[in-house]
Amino acid sequence: MTQFTQTLVLGLLIGGVYALLASGLTLIFGVMNIINVAHGAFLILAAFATYSVWTATGVDPLATIAVTTPAMFAFGWVLYRYAVRRIRTAGPASSVLLTFSIALLLEGIMGLVWGNTSHAVRPAYFNESFHVGDIFLPKAQVYACLVAVGVLVALYAFLSRTWAGRAIRSSAVNPQGAQLVGVDVAAVAALTFAIGVATTGAGGSLVSVLYPFLPGSHYVWISRLLGIIVLGGMGSLPGAVVGALLIGVGETMTSTYIGPEWATAVPYAVIFVVLLARPQGLLGARLREDVAV
Amino acid sequence: MRAMRSFTTPLVALAVGLVAVGCGGSSDDDSSGSDKSAIKIGASLPLTGDFSEPGKAARQGYQVWQKTVNDQGGLLGRKVQIVVRDDASDQNTVVADYNALISREKVDLLLGTFSSLLNIPASTVAERNRMLYVEPAGGAPDIFNRGYKYLFFAQQATADHQGDLFAQYILSLPPDQRPKTAAYPTLDDPFAVPVLEGIRAKLEPAGIKTVYRKTYPADTQNFDSIANAVKSANPELLVHGATFADGVGFIRALDKVGFDPKYFFQTSAPSFADQFSKGIGEKNTEGIFYAVSWTPEAKTPGNKEFLDAYHEMFGNQIPAEDAADAFATAQVMQAAIKAVGKIDDQLKLADWLRSHTVDTILGPLKWNETGAPQGQFLIGQWQSGQSEIVLPKAAATSEQIAQSQAAASG
Repeated sequence: MTQFTQTLVLGLLIGGVYALLASGLTLIFGVMNIINVAHGAFLILAAFATYSVWTATGVDPLATIAVTTPAMFAFGWVLYRYAVRRIRTAGPASSVLLTFSIALLLEGIMGLVWGNTSHAVRPAYFNESFHVGDIFLPKAQVYACLVAVGVLVALYAFLSRTWAGRAIRSSAVNPQGAQLVGVDVAAVAALTFAIGVATTGAGGSLVSVLYPFLPGSHYVWISRLLGIIVLGGMGSLPGAVVGALLIGVGETMTSTYIGPEWATAVPYAVIFVVLLARPQGLLGARLREDVAV
Repeated sequence: MRAMRSFTTPLVALAVGLVAVGCGGSSDDDSSGSDKSAIKIGASLPLTGDFSEPGKAARQGYQVWQKTVNDQGGLLGRKVQIVVRDDASDQNTVVADYNALISREKVDLLLGTFSSLLNIPASTVAERNRMLYVEPAGGAPDIFNRGYKYLFFAQQATADHQGDLFAQYILSLPPDQRPKTAAYPTLDDPFAVPVLEGIRAKLEPAGIKTVYRKTYPADTQNFDSIANAVKSANPELLVHGATFADGVGFIRALDKVGFDPKYFFQTSAPSFADQFSKGIGEKNTEGIFYAVSWTPEAKTPGNKEFLDAYHEMFGNQIPAEDAADAFATAQVMQAAIKAVGKIDDQLKLADWLRSHTVDTILGPLKWNETGAPQGQFLIGQWQSGQSEIVLPKAAATSEQIAQSQAAASG
C-alpha cells in the first residue's frame, strides 16, 4: 500500500508540472488553431535562461519565474507580430512547419550560446525530500507542482474573470461572433500567443530544476505535451490538466508495476484507446463540423 | 471530425519536415587547404541530436589528429584532409552520409562514427565498398557477429567486457565486505545493456543475488519511480547502464529517495568529468565506479602530443574521452597505412590490423578475426571530487579504492 501511495503521489506531483507545461500549448491551439511545435524549444530556452541567471546571481531558479515569464511573454508577442501572424489564415499545416522551423532554429542558437552539453540547475533542495510517514515527497517536485498550480489558477482566473480573458475564450468558441460583439480578434490572437509562450517561462524554470537538459531536449517534451493535450481534448485547459495528471500517474504506475520499459508506451496506448471512444479527447468540445462529417 | 482532421494534416506535414531535415545532412569541410594531392578522409558524426555531445568531441579528436599528422609531413607524403558530415544522430542519415562521402566526395578513406547505434548501419556501407572502417565508439557485441572484414573497434574491449575488472574486484573482496545483492537498471541501449549483462554473468554464478533488473526506454526523464523501486529492492551493489543525461537524472532521483548503495557502478556518465559533477553536485560523486578507455594522465605513446595539440586548438579544457578515442581511431588507421604503404587495396590494411598490435594513446590495441578488440578497460572511481583510475594497478592514479558510499544524500 505504501508503494502504491508513493507511486500515486509521485505521479500527481509530476502531472501537476506537466499540466502547466501543456497549458500554453492547448491555449494557443484552442484560440488560434495553431499547433505550436516550438513549445518544447521555448521551454528549453526558458530553462537555459534560468540556468544563466542562477549561475550568475545564485538566485533561486523558482524565483526567476518573475523574470522568465514576462521575458517569454515579450518573446512570444514579437514572434507573433513578425512570423506567426503571416500564416494565420494559411491553415494548420503551415503553422506546424513554421513553428517546427522556429524550434530547429532555436535549438541551433541554444547550441551556439550555451553549447550542446547537458546543463542542470541545482538549488540547495534539488535532491532533498520531505518525509510524511513512509512516503517521501521530493522538494523540487513539491515546489514545482505548487508553482504550477499557482500559475494555472491565475491563468484560469484570468480567462474566466477578466474582459481580456473572456475575449480570448469567445474568440476560441466563435471568432465571427466575437468580432460582431466588438472583440478585436487579431489583437486577441497576439495576446493569446504571447500568454501561451509566457507559460513556458515558468515551465522552463521548473524543468531546469527537475531534469538535466540540453538544446535537443525539446523533442522529448513536445511529443509528451502533444500527447497530453490530445488526451485531454485539444484546446481545453481543464482537459490539459486532466490529461497531464493521467499521463503523470500513468507513467509512474506503469514504471513501478509493469516495468520502466513500458512507461512511455502504456500512456500512449491509453491515449489511443481514449481517442477511439472519444475522438475529441476527454474534455474536448465536439464542434458542429465534427457531427456533420 | 474537423478536430481530428485538422490535427492529422499538420502531423503529416511535420513528418515530411522531419524527413527533409534528416536528409539534409550538411557537409562540414574541415580542410585547412585545398591541396589536390591530399588524402581525403570522410566521416559522419552526430554533431546534432541525442549524441551531439560525444559527436562533437569525436570531431575534435579527428581534427587534432589531422593537425598533428599534417604538422609531421602528412601520410605517405601527402597531406590529409578530413571531411565531416552531420548525421543528426539518425541511422538513416548516417547511411546516406557515408554513401555520399564515397560516391560524391570521393574520399580515399573512412573514419567511423559515434555509438553502436550508428556504427551498425554505417559499417555496412564501408564493408560493401571494401573500405577500412575503424570506429571510435561502438562496442556492442552485435557489431562484431556479422562476419565483416573491414571493421575494427579502436577501444580496449567490447561492451560485454567493459566491466570485467570491476566484477573481478567485487569478487576479490573479503566475504564480510562483498555485496550479497545487486540491482541492474539500464537504459535500452545496445552499448549499456551488454556492459551490465557482462558484469551480471560474472556476479550471479558467484552467489551475488539479482534483486532488480529492468530496462527503461531512451526518452525517460523521470527517474523517481525507478529509483524508488531500486530502493525497495535494497541492493548492496548497484550497477547502472546509462549514457549521460539519464545517468545524472537517475543519481539525482536516488538522492531524492534517499538511497545509498554500498557499491555503485555506472556506465559512461561518470567519465564526463565536470559535466557529471556539475550535474549531480560534487559531493554526490563520491565512490562512483565507471569504466573508461582513456585518462589524461596516461603515459601512453603520443598522449602528451595529443594533449598539447588539443589545448592549442580548443583551449585549456580537458579533452573528453570521446575525443581521445577518435584520435586513437585515426592512429590505428594511420599505423596500418604506414605499414602497408598504400591505400588502394584496403583489405590489406584490414589484414595487417588483424595480425598486429597498434600503440595508441589508449595503450596497445589488438583485435580478433571479427575486429573486436582483445584488451581491458580501465576502471575509474570518483574520489574527493576527482575522477581517479583505480584498476588495473599498473595504470592506477589513486592507490586506494573507496570502499562504500555512493550517492550521498544532501
